[in-house]
Amino acid sequence: MRNKRLFILMIGLIVFIAIMGFTLGRKKLTWPEKFINDAVGTVQGVFYRPVGAVADFFRDLGRLSDVYKENELLRQTVAQYTQDQIRFNMLEAENKRLQEELNFTERQKQLDNYRYLIAQVVGSTSNPYEKTIKINLGSRDGVKPDMAVTTVDGLVGIISRVSTFTSTVKLITDLDENSAAGMPVSATVLDKETQSFGIIEYDKESSNLIMTKIDERDPLAVGDKVITSGLGNVFPKGIIVGTVESRQVGVFGLTHTAVITPAAKFDHLREVFVVVVPDVDGP
Amino acid sequence: MRINRVILWTLLLLIVETAVIPWLVPPAWTERLLPHLAFIMTLFVAGFGGRHHAFLFGLGFGLLQDILFYGNLIGPYGFGMGLLGYMAGLVAERRAFTLVFFIWIVVVGGGLLDTVVYLIYKLFRLTDLSYSFVFYWQIAPTTLLQLLFALLIYVPVRRYLVKPSLASGEDNPE
Repeated sequence: MRNKRLFILMIGLIVFIAIMGFTLGRKKLTWPEKFINDAVGTVQGVFYRPVGAVADFFRDLGRLSDVYKENELLRQTVAQYTQDQIRFNMLEAENKRLQEELNFTERQKQLDNYRYLIAQVVGSTSNPYEKTIKINLGSRDGVKPDMAVTTVDGLVGIISRVSTFTSTVKLITDLDENSAAGMPVSATVLDKETQSFGIIEYDKESSNLIMTKIDERDPLAVGDKVITSGLGNVFPKGIIVGTVESRQVGVFGLTHTAVITPAAKFDHLREVFVVVVPDVDGP
Repeated sequence: MRINRVILWTLLLLIVETAVIPWLVPPAWTERLLPHLAFIMTLFVAGFGGRHHAFLFGLGFGLLQDILFYGNLIGPYGFGMGLLGYMAGLVAERRAFTLVFFIWIVVVGGGLLDTVVYLIYKLFRLTDLSYSFVFYWQIAPTTLLQLLFALLIYVPVRRYLVKPSLASGEDNPE
């Protein structure tokens, strides 16, 4: 009897390790998984959104005193924004003219024309080792794996699995530097886009982002705004990641690393944007 | 154990766990308090319904949770909850099911589940955190919260979901 139990345990262990190994690097979902995800995702949305609205209401009550200050700040920003808008329109018109003159192909012209899909968050996981959230957009809405997900503040994650009506987002807090999983996000610094380069990772124990592989002569300095660089054209460029907090020599002494305070918050998310890069291989 | 009703309630709990609990936890603690409510129900099933029920129950809900939030791999919770449900059932069959014993099961089981999941992620090199950090950072607070929750639902579960003959602790027909 005892032997039989042990035997079954061993078989179970082997089967599960096989399943885990098999599902480790997979991107596509099979139809049962999609069905379960969509069915439960719908119900989760029914709970998550109202509860979030109530929780946010109480949090906002606590922040009422800050509203006046925030309003003042926003007014200044808007004034600046209108000036920038004029400048931006002129620059864009000139850019378009130059592209025409240099015979850019249609594909090259469309490359920076990102679409932002707004998505509601419907659930968040209770698994401590892979922080994922669920959103109510799926392959039907044109969402594909490895698309960037942002909030109004900055980058929060990457689409990891897509089913028909919902998809799973892996937060950038999952881009652990020493883990086997994870996708490198190349980053640069605002206003020094051509001179600066690094890879974004996340340090769990200090809960900060880390930018590694920075060149010694890189002009990156404390207080700079870090944005995604979009090198490779898979990941969109110009998404705010965070602010540089400190910079030091890396582990091997050849490159530098910088500690970055994330711009976005990763908890209590309600609405996020999926950034759709125009289809490079498409017609 | 009215198993159909328990399954319905646990589905609801799983949705509460992923859609409501994140809002109730204060922002500074979101990485530390991650209760597994479906696992607590598995322990109830182990106590009142026997080890085979608990095994299937834990396996099913663990896999459901894995599939719903599929980040890197499927299976850690399916494996952990199935195994611990069976083991809890095994222990529960040899002891009288009292409240003190149940508290022990929830604390030890909760700690073991998180440990099993941690070891699996360590095995596949998906995490490089040390066990002492994980224990202090996440396992200990989560286990205490789970214990609180288990005590809150102990009386209703006993009253509404367990058949009278089983609740009295006599030998069961299953």
